[in-house]
Amino acid sequence: MQNIAERYTGASVKRSEDPRILTGTGCYVDDVRLPGMLHAAFVRSPSAHARITGVDVTEARKLPGVIAVLTGEELDALTVRGPGAAGMFSAGLPMPSFSVLATDKVRLVGDPVVLVVAESRYLAEDACELVVVDYEELPAVITQEQALDPAGPPIFEDLGSNVLVRSPVATFGDVEGAFARADRVVRAELRQHRHQNVPMECRGVVCSFDLGSGELTVYSATQGVHIARTGFATQLDMPLEKVRVLAGDIGGSFGLKLGAAREDIACAAASRRLGRPIRWIEDRSENLTASGQARDESFEVEAAISNEGHILGLRVKMIIDTGAYPGLGGMLPEAVKGMIPGPYKIGALSFESTAVITNKASYIAYRGPWASETWVRERMIDLIAKELAMEPLEVRLRNVVTRGEPPLQMLTGRSLVGVTSRESLDRIAALVDVEAFRRRQAEARAQGRYLGLGLATYIEAAPGPRTPGGGGGIMGPEQMRLRLEEDGTVTVFTSQMPHGQSHQTTLAQIAADEFGVPFDQVRVVVGDTDVVPMGFGTGGSRSATMAGGVSLHGARALRAKVFEVAAHLFEASPEDMDLAAGAVSVRGVPARAVPLGEIARAAHEPGRVPRDLEGDLEVTAEYDGGEGGWAGGTHAAIVEVDVETGQVRIERYLVAEDCGVLINPAIVEGQVRGGVAQGIGAVLLERSAYDPDSGQYLSSTFMDYLIPTACEIPRIEIEHIETVPLDADVNFRGVGEGGMIIAPPTLCNAIEDALSPMGVRVTEQHLPPCRILELIGAIALDP
Amino acid sequence: MKPPPFDYSAPTTLDEALALLLEHGEDARPLAGGQSLVPLLSFRLARPSHLVDLAGISELGSIVVDDGHLVIGAMVRERAAERHDDVRLLAPLLAQALPLIGHPAIRSRGTIGGSLAHADPAAELPAVALLLDAELVAQSRDRGKRTIKAADFFSGFFTTALQPDEILTEVRIRRPALRTGSAIEEVARRHGDFAMVGAAAMVRLEDGKIADARVALTGVSDIPVRATEAEAILEGAEPTDEAFATAAEEAAKSLSPPADLHGSSSYRRHLATVLMRRTFKLAAQRAKEAA
Amino acid sequence: MSTFDVELTVNGTPRQGSVEPRRTLADFLREDLGLTGTHLGCEHGVCGACTVLVNGEPARSCLMLAVQARGADILTVEGLANNGVMNPLQQAMWESHGFQCGFCTPGFLMQITALLVENPNPGEEEIREALSGNLCRCTGYESIVNGVLRAAGHDGSPPEPRH
Repeated sequence: MQNIAERYTGASVKRSEDPRILTGTGCYVDDVRLPGMLHAAFVRSPSAHARITGVDVTEARKLPGVIAVLTGEELDALTVRGPGAAGMFSAGLPMPSFSVLATDKVRLVGDPVVLVVAESRYLAEDACELVVVDYEELPAVITQEQALDPAGPPIFEDLGSNVLVRSPVATFGDVEGAFARADRVVRAELRQHRHQNVPMECRGVVCSFDLGSGELTVYSATQGVHIARTGFATQLDMPLEKVRVLAGDIGGSFGLKLGAAREDIACAAASRRLGRPIRWIEDRSENLTASGQARDESFEVEAAISNEGHILGLRVKMIIDTGAYPGLGGMLPEAVKGMIPGPYKIGALSFESTAVITNKASYIAYRGPWASETWVRERMIDLIAKELAMEPLEVRLRNVVTRGEPPLQMLTGRSLVGVTSRESLDRIAALVDVEAFRRRQAEARAQGRYLGLGLATYIEAAPGPRTPGGGGGIMGPEQMRLRLEEDGTVTVFTSQMPHGQSHQTTLAQIAADEFGVPFDQVRVVVGDTDVVPMGFGTGGSRSATMAGGVSLHGARALRAKVFEVAAHLFEASPEDMDLAAGAVSVRGVPARAVPLGEIARAAHEPGRVPRDLEGDLEVTAEYDGGEGGWAGGTHAAIVEVDVETGQVRIERYLVAEDCGVLINPAIVEGQVRGGVAQGIGAVLLERSAYDPDSGQYLSSTFMDYLIPTACEIPRIEIEHIETVPLDADVNFRGVGEGGMIIAPPTLCNAIEDALSPMGVRVTEQHLPPCRILELIGAIALDP
Repeated sequence: MKPPPFDYSAPTTLDEALALLLEHGEDARPLAGGQSLVPLLSFRLARPSHLVDLAGISELGSIVVDDGHLVIGAMVRERAAERHDDVRLLAPLLAQALPLIGHPAIRSRGTIGGSLAHADPAAELPAVALLLDAELVAQSRDRGKRTIKAADFFSGFFTTALQPDEILTEVRIRRPALRTGSAIEEVARRHGDFAMVGAAAMVRLEDGKIADARVALTGVSDIPVRATEAEAILEGAEPTDEAFATAAEEAAKSLSPPADLHGSSSYRRHLATVLMRRTFKLAAQRAKEAA
Repeated sequence: MSTFDVELTVNGTPRQGSVEPRRTLADFLREDLGLTGTHLGCEHGVCGACTVLVNGEPARSCLMLAVQARGADILTVEGLANNGVMNPLQQAMWESHGFQCGFCTPGFLMQITALLVENPNPGEEEIREALSGNLCRCTGYESIVNGVLRAAGHDGSPPEPRH
């Protein structure tokens, strides 16, 4: 038995998830086996934009082993049209009408058109090849220019154009004045390229409709079971109580697996039609082509600056490519606008944006969806530094806010309470020794070697400071149920849905500490809508605060309730109760301790305790985030660019980060490194590429969509900045998304620094070797 | 991503295998290591009606030394060749190339013959075979054995001189002459990926001058190519950096490499220049050390 | 299409099934033998999640047909622990917080098993190179490398927070 005198919070406690992960006994959605289960595959559009003029499934239906073939029209009749998962993010935006599978037209390569259900995936794919769909090609709308062209074919006829929304110019502060008194204006057109989540596990679902009970059970890989449940219930026109969503182990998501996807709804409807379970496991081509993509934005930026490097004002125009079916893209500019000042003293800001629709996969959430604000700002700061021949670190130090001094708020409104950006910059400066690096850089250049140093600073709302309207970040307060069992263990029911975040460990650490039992006596239950509290699930870098906080307060509340019950049994006062070594006693009388389990049993026995304490020894807790707070930090990278091949080697990567009090340092550092790895991948390797003429998706296999391997990601040095506690108890902040937000600009800044002798100005985030040689002029830009 | 249906045989002799290929015609294909063929099946880009698995034919699985030639059976796994002493001694360029092929899990199954017969323009082994003037032995039931020079073997994009009823049985590599050094280098997006461009070079020195220089390039065409202009310029020349640079630049002028998501045509031409220069230099250095 | 009988040894136990030739070894293990520890991440031989040992050598089970494995001796992730007791590699990965979502884990464990047989004391570069054919999206690889170093007898412990 573990020694419960030690404190778990703050220690790198070994994960309780690992025994099953390491022995291959976890249960991912592709591992679910139900009697009579059938297998689904989709016929998908080979064309980016076309009208469907005919669908012939006769031959497919005849293939032995095929149980059903459902066309878009047939599924449309079995389901309710709706925005699906995108509905979460689309309040107030124009919403086109579209069916679960394509009926009138296809709007991207990979758009699902027909569902085949067969005895095996092999047979289902055979049958898919027998389906004949007639397409009348339409011009593909692929580039922003094509989408903005009013003469272009509207992808959704009922919207009339491919401009989803144009937001009017928003201004903060005196923008005109700032530009009028500026010593200089630095301008840039910055491009953030499309790339995507790519978890190692693709999407998947097993839908099982029971004809007898009229209940739908869904096994899903999803970040939030309740949101998925609502999606299924809505689009199948079923009462919520008849839908149960379960999730077991999930092989990563990073924002992809939210809500009920169109394919999920199709499988659920088919299961209801057939009365049999249907499994759909997305394959990697489907995942890369059609599941959704992210980060497709371009910016025109002007910075009004003083000769001392102060940023007097910014003008920002943003265009975001939201893809075909509605996703997150339409509302994202709001988040970018709000965050773009970051932890800096920006004097004024004007911001306008346009969201366009194109024949591409939907723009979805990907680990820090608003990250382009940091990309734009941190790139501009380096361009400003270049303009003034100043060190980028110095420009940052001159503009970053200092805690306790004005401004106490971001220009766009949010409080900057507790921000430690300056401290993180100072720490990175101490770790890097910029002057020494500049000497080394100069020596290397003399030998024809190109080293570069880049750094970047960010903050993220994890969950963000308390707002006047209440805390909890954008997804509301967090609930948790905690129950003492008759065997003396504590069961924690959380709406969190971990998919790599290790909540079954971290939340147990906190609950164990606050309740007073060993870590292995706490069991965290996730992923069952019948049992876990309502809530968003996991995402948005909020769980450390929200779930950590409700775990802390809930465990205390459970302890108090246990003491109340025990007090009755001891005929003493709750204040006199003590808990040690798994038993409760009157303080000072340890010999007459009662094991925890017996206390729980007593509460079940009629008459032993007052009515209001009878029953399960359980509390339901809710937490609104308390004072909340920011996470953030500064990253730095030292790179070497091989100017003969364009390859980039990262010599050193450093992180100085503040994510509040660490629940489990190893887990925190794992999140940071994983995020940074994705950021490195974005710059050097990953691009969701479309042919601009045909709209064909070019990155549809792992030979073309490249994610980094162990040879591309360096050791990452991590220093934790001492956090500013804002709350009496809960100062854990989220850390899931930060690495991915800040790594791309860090690396781009380093690459530009390495190539500055060639006068390279980096305005795009994707810098594969070919592009680097084009930028330095070593090769021509081919047409 | 599941393969379409096909039939399968697992012969234990070469004669059986050849008879099966003849019997099932053009839609039958030999199955070697499967590291290239199985993904094509999974993508449904290849749709053979019948696979003839060569793994059970023990006579295809050995490495022997025969009269100064290294003879590698077509079904020798790349990993086995990598570990084999005779390969290191008698075909150092091959030994240098093998670890560049994919990853250990690929090489444990992938075969020497399979890679050559698949003829991926980005693959290392076809370029090595071309550079070493390897002899590839093919056999059919009706026409027996024939020896095909590497220069004649690779005819086009994923196309070789093999007839549909032929199986590649072995590759013969002559041991290098004295005072020869070799080098292979490639530029890939990630470690273990197919090269965007690769160069394999050999240099033989005599009296401090280059008696023979050769270089083969991958990724610049639909087949591996010998950069003969470079080879001609270097014959008899001093092994200097300038000579290698000049040779590489001249040879690159005649290249029209393909463009794709990973690199433009200009980029590949540029890489070819860089890699020819680097591999010539390293090969010459090794030739000096071998003396 | 005819089916073929496949007899092989998996994790030390004789197993068998009857399959179409097109059935991959990965699907045979997962579907026919119920060994779902081996995962499918791409089905085209790049991600390595499906890695198993075939006659002691690492192989991508999505790039093998089940019929090619007749008579073979296969080791999957389910065969690493002994009666529920994790082996030293698994213990080391646990202590080093090697993994997060766990989907890539079985493939890594099998590849690392093969690496440590061939090279019981690999250096960091060798480890990264040997594992470059296994993709992980969660960890950035450092914790995995630490776990391998720990399994090889070095200190791969997770960090104390540095302030």
